[in-house]
Amino acid sequence: MSGPSDNSESKREVALLSWIQQFAPYGVLTLDKSFQVQSWNHWMEVHSAMRFENIAGKSIFALFPTLQDRKLVAPFERALNGETSVLSTALHRYLLPLPSPIRRSGAAQMLQTAQIAPLLLGSVVCGIVVVIEDVTQRESQAEALRRQHRRDKILSWALTHLWKSDEPRKIIRQLFFKIAEHLDFDTFLLYLRDIETGTLALYTAGGIPPELAKEFADYPLLASVAQSREMVVIDSIQARQQPEYAPLKKAGASAAIAIPLFANERPLGLLCFASWSRESIATEESDLLTTIAQYLATAVDRENTNRQLQRAREELQSHAQLLEKKVEERTARLQETISELETFSYTLAHDLKAPLRGMIGYCQILLEDFGGILPPEAHNIVERLARTPRRMEALIKDLLQFSDISRQEIVLSRVEIEPVIDDILALRAPGVRQATTIRTPLQPVRAHLTLLQQVLANLVDNAIKFVHPKTQAKITIFTEVVSHSSPSTRSQPLLFNSTETAPPGSSDSPLEITPKGVRIWVVDEGIGIPIEAHQKIFGIFERGAFAERYEGTGMGLAIVARATQRMGGTCGVESKPGHGSRFWIELPAA
Amino acid sequence: MELIATQKDALTELINIGYARAAAALSDLTGHRISLEVPEVSIHLIPEITQKLQRVIEGEVASVNQVFSGPIAGNAILLLDRKAAILLNRVLTDRPDITELDGAAREVITEVGNIVLNACLGAFGNLLKVQVTFTVPSLQIESVQKILTSITIADRELEYALIIHTRFHLRVDDISGYLVIILGVTSLDTLLLELKKWEDRELK
Repeated sequence: MSGPSDNSESKREVALLSWIQQFAPYGVLTLDKSFQVQSWNHWMEVHSAMRFENIAGKSIFALFPTLQDRKLVAPFERALNGETSVLSTALHRYLLPLPSPIRRSGAAQMLQTAQIAPLLLGSVVCGIVVVIEDVTQRESQAEALRRQHRRDKILSWALTHLWKSDEPRKIIRQLFFKIAEHLDFDTFLLYLRDIETGTLALYTAGGIPPELAKEFADYPLLASVAQSREMVVIDSIQARQQPEYAPLKKAGASAAIAIPLFANERPLGLLCFASWSRESIATEESDLLTTIAQYLATAVDRENTNRQLQRAREELQSHAQLLEKKVEERTARLQETISELETFSYTLAHDLKAPLRGMIGYCQILLEDFGGILPPEAHNIVERLARTPRRMEALIKDLLQFSDISRQEIVLSRVEIEPVIDDILALRAPGVRQATTIRTPLQPVRAHLTLLQQVLANLVDNAIKFVHPKTQAKITIFTEVVSHSSPSTRSQPLLFNSTETAPPGSSDSPLEITPKGVRIWVVDEGIGIPIEAHQKIFGIFERGAFAERYEGTGMGLAIVARATQRMGGTCGVESKPGHGSRFWIELPAA
Repeated sequence: MELIATQKDALTELINIGYARAAAALSDLTGHRISLEVPEVSIHLIPEITQKLQRVIEGEVASVNQVFSGPIAGNAILLLDRKAAILLNRVLTDRPDITELDGAAREVITEVGNIVLNACLGAFGNLLKVQVTFTVPSLQIESVQKILTSITIADRELEYALIIHTRFHLRVDDISGYLVIILGVTSLDTLLLELKKWEDRELK
């Protein structure tokens, strides 16, 4: 037996325990070995709305009969064997059916975790203690977090898909089915504006009965939202009497949200989701859908821009093709005209020859038959008269030659130069050969024999002709191999002023195929040519002031230039008045 | 210390009886058929078990620890690796998307541990005719080493550990865990003695 001091000690302990039990933020109750309530703390009274004095001594299973149906008797029984049991909220929701402390949460019951333990007196079990914790708040927060997590997942999923795709329109349908499923919507509608016309049209929809598709294709209510900048939530649709809600009503919608799509101030369309079961749409959902609508608008805008870009590119390409075709046509016409002109000038020159012969003939007859009766002055005039057509004949001959060169078909082959020079010199006055030095060996070239003969004959004739009065011409002929590693490093020759000259390295130039060329130099010690005339002299009928004292048609160098060009070569001159001239033509090496 | 073949067989049978009760309790709770495989039993010195368990159970571990007292006293621990703990939650609750061990998930692991541990220890008590009482189970999520160190430091007398390797089969999932019962020399002696008596009773 314990003494009085022990008794007061034990009383203190009981008082302390009772104080803790009354103020603990948990439900605490104790049962005896026959499961009758022995104690019931303040928390239990508040949350169960049952006062202790009304239930003291009653069996817990009588107070809460559902414990038996929910197979929760065993933990109480096992406590009497010394076992402690814990009950989790995820597996049982609650131990005792108490009202939920959160009014608006879906669950009517308070969510609980509980412990059922033996009440020990020393090592002997004398009853059961039950501790209940209210976890409704914790669970509702966890649920909110989980919802947020799900929304974040949908957002990032939607964003990834819209961004990854080059044609977001194509994946929109798939995207919306998933969003609708996750957010528990039954219907979606997407209207997009045509890029060009700006007309709003239903692009895709889900959860609409086929017979209503027509009504939604042109729906003034949604079209008016698309015009505005504000998102609209339409709740309690089934209760609305106004005719504008009829299509949504017929589709079974009870709440809907319509969000206009805008990107950079451009109206792009409208996105609409509807539920068949909910009466309204929560702010957090409308926020999420607005964000998705923004993603969508940006993606659609990007696709529109890409399409416009693509169209512009195609237009540009077709325009370029048209231009190319025009150039081709005009070139063909030009060539036709040129060839017509060439034929014309050939015919003209040819036909001019006949009357000339008549003139010469008649002058001869005049001199031979009537020479005796003509006064001496008239004699002189007739002789001069007879000389003029000869000059004209020479002119016409050169013109014919020039047009011949232009019209002839050119076939290039290997040509040895020495025999060509020999032939030319053989036909000139005997003194010319002595005056000519040929520096052998002369490199062969790829050329057209007749043209080359003409070119070299003209150059030799010029060298003989343009000398100081009463001096004998001195001519040197030699060749030089020039290599062009690339057109850009090539020393620019002095080109004659014909615009038809093939530029170095142009596609039809044989130089391209055999980069090595041979320059044939014809050098004289004649009167020389001022620098400003170097280009001019290669033109047709061009005769410099320096050449006035010399006879000629002004065609010789024009023939040289045209012939060289037709053989795929170039020509030029280095000269100064009084220092002679160094003419060159360059042809591909053979 | 090694268990002789007869001791091992007797222990395995004893635990199996407890497991039948645990499996029934879990099946009742979840509505799924749950079976617990015949466990493997072995006895080790505490410093050995840390090494042994670290090899088979890695990283952070969910442990449910329950202290029991009476003629046989010690610590009973259920160890599940993170993956198994999450899988168990997915199967038992209506939360198939769970990826973290939040408050509710920890409670589920605690309750499952409580059921399994109570079943085993309760079977010991009932069959060996000794009274064993339990404390409230506590959950820890830490490495195996830390969990075992905290237990041995708490009581120097605890020296031997009975390791029971368990496997749950739930629906198609196979979840594996370890049950560790740590006993002092005296308790182990008592257990083996009581085991012998039980065997003799059974054979009669």
